[in-house]
Amino acid sequence: MTIETKPPRAEVSPEARIFREAAAEGRFLIRRCGACGEAHYYPRSHCPVCGSRDVDWVEASGGASLYSFTVMEGAKRATAPAIVDLDEGLRINSVVLDADVHRLAIGDRVTVAFQADREGVLRLAFTTAEANAARAHTDAAMAAVAADEKAFAAGKPPVEIETVAVIGAGNMGIGITTAFLKAGFSVLMIDRAEEAFERARARIAETLERDVTRKRLSAEGAAATLARLATSTAMADLARADLVVEAVWEQMELKTSVFAEASRHARPGVCLCSNTSTLDIDEIAAATDRPDRVVGLHFFNPAHVMRLLEVVRGAATSEATLALAMQVGQRLGKVPVVVGNAYGFVGNRLMIARERQAARMLLEGALPRQIDAVLTRFGMPMGTFEMQDMAGGIELSYRNRQSTGEKNFIIDRLFEAGRLGQKTGKGYYRYEPGKTRPIVDAEVTAIIEAASADAGIERRAISDEEIEERLILLMINEGAKLVAAGIARRPSDIDVVWQTGFGWPSWKGGPMYHADRLGIGAVHARLVDLHARFGDPFAPAPLLETMARSGETFATLASSATGSETGTAR
Amino acid sequence: MSIKGQACVAGIYEHPTRRADDLSIARLHADVALGALADAGLSPSDVDAYFCGADAPGIGGFSMAEYIGLNNLRYMDTTETGGSSYLLHVSHAARAIATGQCNVALITMADRPLAAGAGPVLAGVDMSKVPEREFAPPVMVPPVYGYAMVAKRHMHEFGTTAEQLAWVKVAASHHAQYNPHARLREPMTLADVMASPLVADPLRRADCCVVTDGGGALVITRPEIARSLARPVVKIAGAGEAMRHSRGGRIDLLHSAGVFSAAKAFEEAGVTPGDIKYASLYDSFTITVIMQLEDIGFCEKGMGGRFVADGNLISGIGRLPVNTDGGGLCSNHPGNKGGMTKMLEAVRQCRGEAHPSVQVADHGLVLAHGTGGLLSSQHMAGTVILEAA
Ligand SMILES: NC(=O)c1ccc[n+]([C@@H]2O[C@H](COP(=O)([O-])OP(=O)(O)OC[C@H]3O[C@@H](n4cnc5c(N)ncnc54)[C@H](O)[C@@H]3O)[C@@H](O)[C@H]2O)c1
Repeated sequence: MTIETKPPRAEVSPEARIFREAAAEGRFLIRRCGACGEAHYYPRSHCPVCGSRDVDWVEASGGASLYSFTVMEGAKRATAPAIVDLDEGLRINSVVLDADVHRLAIGDRVTVAFQADREGVLRLAFTTAEANAARAHTDAAMAAVAADEKAFAAGKPPVEIETVAVIGAGNMGIGITTAFLKAGFSVLMIDRAEEAFERARARIAETLERDVTRKRLSAEGAAATLARLATSTAMADLARADLVVEAVWEQMELKTSVFAEASRHARPGVCLCSNTSTLDIDEIAAATDRPDRVVGLHFFNPAHVMRLLEVVRGAATSEATLALAMQVGQRLGKVPVVVGNAYGFVGNRLMIARERQAARMLLEGALPRQIDAVLTRFGMPMGTFEMQDMAGGIELSYRNRQSTGEKNFIIDRLFEAGRLGQKTGKGYYRYEPGKTRPIVDAEVTAIIEAASADAGIERRAISDEEIEERLILLMINEGAKLVAAGIARRPSDIDVVWQTGFGWPSWKGGPMYHADRLGIGAVHARLVDLHARFGDPFAPAPLLETMARSGETFATLASSATGSETGTAR
Repeated sequence: MSIKGQACVAGIYEHPTRRADDLSIARLHADVALGALADAGLSPSDVDAYFCGADAPGIGGFSMAEYIGLNNLRYMDTTETGGSSYLLHVSHAARAIATGQCNVALITMADRPLAAGAGPVLAGVDMSKVPEREFAPPVMVPPVYGYAMVAKRHMHEFGTTAEQLAWVKVAASHHAQYNPHARLREPMTLADVMASPLVADPLRRADCCVVTDGGGALVITRPEIARSLARPVVKIAGAGEAMRHSRGGRIDLLHSAGVFSAAKAFEEAGVTPGDIKYASLYDSFTITVIMQLEDIGFCEKGMGGRFVADGNLISGIGRLPVNTDGGGLCSNHPGNKGGMTKMLEAVRQCRGEAHPSVQVADHGLVLAHGTGGLLSSQHMAGTVILEAA
């Protein structure tokens, strides 16, 4: 596969070469006049204050404080245009990037962080010390996850994987296949009927085509990639596979029968992986002849884009199997994180808790726009309702409840009104044709108000602060429970999961890192209060209480301590 | 040499369009040129001096001179300073007339960013080779953010509030209801403005001017000619211009170049801010108006927010009626340049021809002022004082 990248357009003036070379080393140069002593910004061969040609480079400290700033509302990347006072006495136009821009104040300290522009030219920008600290935590958390592969492999040589079988040519199967193809694997797709393959091929070709248009892939490269895809309706063909990944419908009877059949056809020792998002891996593994070689590979939608891969460890899953899963995940360019076998695993567990609480606040008086705005100002790339509209959450929730008969006033009404999310042009919001910008819709407001009336709840104004607490502290609480139960092997794994799977910004570390910033004692105290007012979901995790008492933080929490207290993953 | 009383505004025209889907830029220039000449009672053959900015397509004014049919030109000035260009043109034209270099000067301005889908950019201005660009931030920072930073620091320094900013818009919208061509004619309350979404804290959508197509033109002549024509005589009493930039890392957010351009204009006219009964003030954003009120001297530095509150800029209510056509905030900001429309409404007021509901009673002395470029980095201010004869 050939990856073509456009060479950066050189937009560097000859006089600025030294500045660029220093910037590449993270050093920030300014000019100082030998005659009048005045400094100036950006190179000239003379002093713009006195006209002398006796000017030279001097290294600036890189420290500055905010003279004024504003925030680019709605920007994908946290961006605050700023005028900064350099410690050397210059006041210049710049920008604060990748930091908690909604919490900046005039006078705040900022520090130089050169950033490449779209052409690859390093340009002056600033960030905050807090953001840098969070990124350092992120780097360490990522490194810890990356080291797991070796730890599980325990020195054994990696298994050679060439051909991967993907069972189920549906939405996830297509994304997973695309991911494997793009990483250089050969893929055999298996489904019950030929028709499924036509759609699958078309969608994969479309994705590759987009890469060609964006010049990330050559036309020949795209053709060669697609040529590595084979399809079959015969499970017997699994014999050709070095690895099997299942992505059929989410039903236990179906999954167990598929796994039983797969274990008949797949060569001995070949790993059987399931992409299930909610089902028990152990029950699936029990249907096979090789429970030690069964593992969950939980991809996130769209599977060829999202970096997170939850590697779900069943009770019988061997370390060698985990090592193989991690190895494959890394070859896919993903961030594989080993998690325990529990409902929702790690990522969705926190998300589901957040969604439920957000839905509860709709009944109490909030509206989707307010809740989503709190989350985006917090730093998330999108709010929970926007996300549900994008991912088809309304339909999923409605269909999942049909077997149980469980009711949900708001979601049922939205579904009945054809509001399935972005794909029908309306969900919690409405959307202009072909656009993804959510627009507030009075119909939804009316449904929400009716739901409150139906539940006998008198709507009240809910403050942004309350919304933030009830969503974020709840996630922290849920995360603490996962750490205690060993479902998350390290607090920082939760941070990695939420960064790579749900867009938690690296400049804010992750939910558990955030808990440490707030202070565990404070988090616990707030949860006690929220528990009294809003009930069970806020009952503080016992671990938080222990930590609050001992003064420990998630950063200092030794994995052995949690292990002895609560046991490890099932 | 003073230009006081040496030149007059003899003709004006504002294009009624706000969205020129079916009109070319050249056609717009010609429309406004002929409109202003007709207002003056003159024809293209009478014009011997032409002034335009970079919105005029071609090399300087060449192409528009030919297109309009200006066949007797002996003087040309294509000064481009962003939105303030046309205020500078008035000053330059008056000086050229006063020194005997021409008799009838035509100034045109026209563009169609809306129809072209171009957004808030200046026509004919190429920033790709400016030396500071290489050292600019890695992300594009559109102008609104620069003005937001001015507002933010103003609030920090002087306690100016978002409500005070909003009062500038309330006044503009109050005036705009009487202007049938205004882009936004609906009067807005303080609450309406405050409910408008944040674009760049502290600026809201409603704190920003409109983006419109169209333009306008002015005819400047020597007094003898102006007096021979049918329209009321509006004399140019004084003018000033001044530039400020970042000075290699010495940004001053609190003072604009208006401090210097206005002082110069007042000196030339021999009057003081207290003598001015109407002002057209550049209103790209609400904060721009507040800054200029202070810099021109209508109030003390830092008191602009308090000055604009409670309708003080509304004609018939406040102490200093400002932008009685609805301004750039509500009526028209053609080509993202507001200097031309500022002059036009100042002339209407000075003639006593503004809408009766917004016409100031004492209109003997009025002022037009504009800032082109970016208040937070490089900008040029132009001030013109007009006197009814
Ligand atoms: N949609 C998501 O966001 C998401 C995310 C992560 C995991 N998952 C999980 O991925 C799995 C698949 O979900 P999906 O959204 O792709 O579903 P889907 O309905 O789009 O695709 C399921 C596919 O499986 C095929 N299939 C059914 N029975 C089969 C059999 N016996 N043999 C071969 N193929 C068979 C169907 O024909 C269909 O093509 C589920 O377990 C789901 O929980 C989904």
